[in-house]
Amino acid sequence: MSDQILLNTEKDIPYQPISLGSMEWNKTGTWRYLRPRFDNKVSPCNEGCPAGQDIEAAMVLIGKGRVLEAWDLFKEENPFPGVCGRVCYHPCESSCNRAEFDEAVSINALERFMADTAFKHGRRVGLKREKKKEKVAIIGSGPAGLTCAYHLARLGYGATVFEALPVLGGMLRVGIPEYRLPKKVLEAEIDQILEMGVNTEINTRFGENLLQKDLKEYAAVFLALGNHVSKRLGIPGEDGDWAMSGVEFLRKISLGKEVPLGKRVVIIGGGNTAIDTARTAQRLGAKPSILYRRTREEMPAFPAEIHEAEEEGIDISFLVSPVRLFLEDGVKKLECVKNRLGPPDEDGRRRPVEVKGSNFLLEVDQVFTAIGEDADLTALPKKIGIENHAIPTDERGATKQEGVFAGGDIIQQPHTVVHAIGSGKRAAIFIDCFLQNKKWERVFDAVRIGERGSLSMRRYLLDEKEWETKSTKTVRLQDLNLDYFEPKKRKRPTKAPMAKRQGTFEEVNIGFPEETAVAEAQRCFNCGVCNLCDNCYIFCPDVAIRKENGNNVIDYDHCKGCGICVEECPRDAMIMEEEGR
Amino acid sequence: MKKIMVGNHAVSWGVMLSRAEVISAYPITPQTSIVEELSVLCADGRLKAKFIPVESEHSAMACVIGASAAGVRTFTATSSQGLALMHEMLHWASGSRLPIVMANVNRSLGSPFNIWGEQSDSLAQRDTGWLQIYCESNQEVLDTVIQAFKIAEKVLLPVMVVLDAFVLSHTAEPVDIPDGNIVGQFLPAYKPQFRIDPQDPRTFACFAPPDFFMEFRYKMQKAMLESQAVCKEVDGQFGEIFGRGYGLVEAYRCEGADLILMTAGAITSTARVAVDALREKGRKVGLLKLRLFRPFPKDEVLEVIRHAEKVAVVDRSLSLGLGGIFAHELRAAMCNEPVRPPIYSYITGLGGRDTTLQTINEIVYQTYERSEPDEQSIWIGMRG
Repeated sequence: MSDQILLNTEKDIPYQPISLGSMEWNKTGTWRYLRPRFDNKVSPCNEGCPAGQDIEAAMVLIGKGRVLEAWDLFKEENPFPGVCGRVCYHPCESSCNRAEFDEAVSINALERFMADTAFKHGRRVGLKREKKKEKVAIIGSGPAGLTCAYHLARLGYGATVFEALPVLGGMLRVGIPEYRLPKKVLEAEIDQILEMGVNTEINTRFGENLLQKDLKEYAAVFLALGNHVSKRLGIPGEDGDWAMSGVEFLRKISLGKEVPLGKRVVIIGGGNTAIDTARTAQRLGAKPSILYRRTREEMPAFPAEIHEAEEEGIDISFLVSPVRLFLEDGVKKLECVKNRLGPPDEDGRRRPVEVKGSNFLLEVDQVFTAIGEDADLTALPKKIGIENHAIPTDERGATKQEGVFAGGDIIQQPHTVVHAIGSGKRAAIFIDCFLQNKKWERVFDAVRIGERGSLSMRRYLLDEKEWETKSTKTVRLQDLNLDYFEPKKRKRPTKAPMAKRQGTFEEVNIGFPEETAVAEAQRCFNCGVCNLCDNCYIFCPDVAIRKENGNNVIDYDHCKGCGICVEECPRDAMIMEEEGR
Repeated sequence: MKKIMVGNHAVSWGVMLSRAEVISAYPITPQTSIVEELSVLCADGRLKAKFIPVESEHSAMACVIGASAAGVRTFTATSSQGLALMHEMLHWASGSRLPIVMANVNRSLGSPFNIWGEQSDSLAQRDTGWLQIYCESNQEVLDTVIQAFKIAEKVLLPVMVVLDAFVLSHTAEPVDIPDGNIVGQFLPAYKPQFRIDPQDPRTFACFAPPDFFMEFRYKMQKAMLESQAVCKEVDGQFGEIFGRGYGLVEAYRCEGADLILMTAGAITSTARVAVDALREKGRKVGLLKLRLFRPFPKDEVLEVIRHAEKVAVVDRSLSLGLGGIFAHELRAAMCNEPVRPPIYSYITGLGGRDTTLQTINEIVYQTYERSEPDEQSIWIGMRG
């Protein structure tokens, strides 16, 4: 009340009803029966990223030109932004609210931009935790195994990665061709993992020169063997020397071996391996074509890759199944039959049905089979059990044998790089819980991002007190105040000219220049998370939003609870609650 | 420069010449073409103002209140139901002592639904603390808009410029457009004593408990009464510069008149013709045009009618349960005058029914016929 002004006579009173001093003594907050609160929620991209990356926050940082800090955020969750920025099928983008508004934000290309920028600047990950005494064995150096090793190292554990092949990286190294994922990018990210003190043992195959008893000294084990065994077609002639699995072909080429191809190369299958095999063969001078038993609709390969293959002139024949391979008068022949689509099978895709008498012959030089891969799990102990060619695991990624966790393609989850990375991180979190005797159910609730299984390592590393302050609501388009957003075209990364996509393994996708990246990141709605747009500050009729240490805070002494701030928040980062009295 | 323009565009051009800085309005027949023209003038840069489209008249008035408090010259326009919707905000504007100028195109209020001319809408707002000036021609409309800004900014009360639906709003007449530079000298930029300023924060339209409220109203009333002199002074200055003056009231052929008609707005023009014809015939009829209605220029009116035997007020308005509003305002203003003519009250032209020469003649005839005024207003031009 100190700065009240005394108005004794009529003459003291101004002509205009205007305060001559501060009105802050009038604590209008007591009028309130509803209370606004800043409440950051889950953005759908973060929920949709199986690797649990804080995409929304990274978009804010890139949008402000703080690219390296954005990379730091990604590296908190995923050691492979350079890899994912190239090969991820980006479920974040299909979850993006902008996809319903105009077009999804180019998150994948921005991830790559961050990684390329960090690489150029020689950026490194910080955060070393105190060393713990327990050691963990990781079997398999693919994205799951290396991610688990990376996070365990950051948590202070001594991790040793055993790899059957002479190179690290698993399918990233021997499954994905150079033109999609240059080796130098992969190697740079693997090197950063190794720099954190991860041990590796190459040429060490579980069940051959690494036995169960050799793992006794490890307090926990993470199994991430990957699926490297190609499924068999089950047709005559499949074992001939001019038929080979696509996986084996890609592995050999990656390891620098030569594979005789000839000109007429036929690939059987419709997944990403089939596409990679065809495009690799094409670059080695062959004229490949793909045979797929169903139609384009049912193809399991990612649409973008099918599109790029067709751009490069690869022919895809649909509704064709192989019958047998045989030699006739010294000519290699593949007999095929035409199909039509029948009723859907158990996975919902329509089943191909043979059209009787429609058989035809193709003259070929080389046939590759790419109809899916399985794991070789024969060396695993019985107790772990195998169901549907996969190791059963619980929500933690733990197997039925205590202290043994599993991830990547050998568990029941989509066979993608990003799911492998997510499962590696999940294992690291719950191996830590297992070794430190933490109640894992509470941890699971605290670190999960939305409802689709993504977990946050950053939240896991927070002080446990902060675990309580989390909204689990995922923001949808209808939760946003769309008056504040305008349609804006999605920026697409450029691709190498066609001349550089023939006969060479140069990278096809080129990525964004910085200004494009910054502009694209600014398209992000920042769903559910305050980005200090200041709408609340501008609209509050009681000037009850205050600036404190660069943040907006609510002055509850004066906020009347009108709710305008919540209504005008473009991104659902505020809520109204009943006043607790 | 002379231009042929409808009354609504005369309003818009008056606003442009006055260099309003924030305009906010919501369309309503018959006002719409005022804001249409203003939006054109804003869009093509002839008027450098912020044009704020809104979802209602209530918001339009709220917008200009905010802008005016921020220290800029503001304008809005409306009619009928829109003015009624603004009612609450009209009090906030005047109570906050903000010099907002608004054009109101007179139109009846529903129900029954009707879009035509009647003065009941603006007259229903007579107690809101707004000055009200009624115009007779498109020229007067343009000139009055310019004058209104000057008056408002002097007395710190809002001013309503009132024109008739269709008869003025949608009828084209030659209008002399004054030179912008000269208007600039007559009406310099608005410089408020207080304005919303983050460097000098204050609460506008603040809270006033019982121990202060009366003083604010007292000051408003004082300003309202004093504004009459300001209106006269501004009109005088305007006349000196531009050669056109209107006065607070105008006496037309009132010399030696035994009967004086009182009108406001466009009916005045019809009455002029009627008076001329009656004078031809030797009838001593005069005409009093009421231009300023709030504050009511009692002395000026009295000066004109003092020696007449009868006054007949032509009202295109109705206060239900009372009668013609101008007539009763005049009766109230005169009631303590020892020498005053009897005041006859006539209702005509509601909901846009034409008020013709015959209507005026009928009023004159009936007034001569009656020995004293009826207590109730007499309705003219009713279906038989």
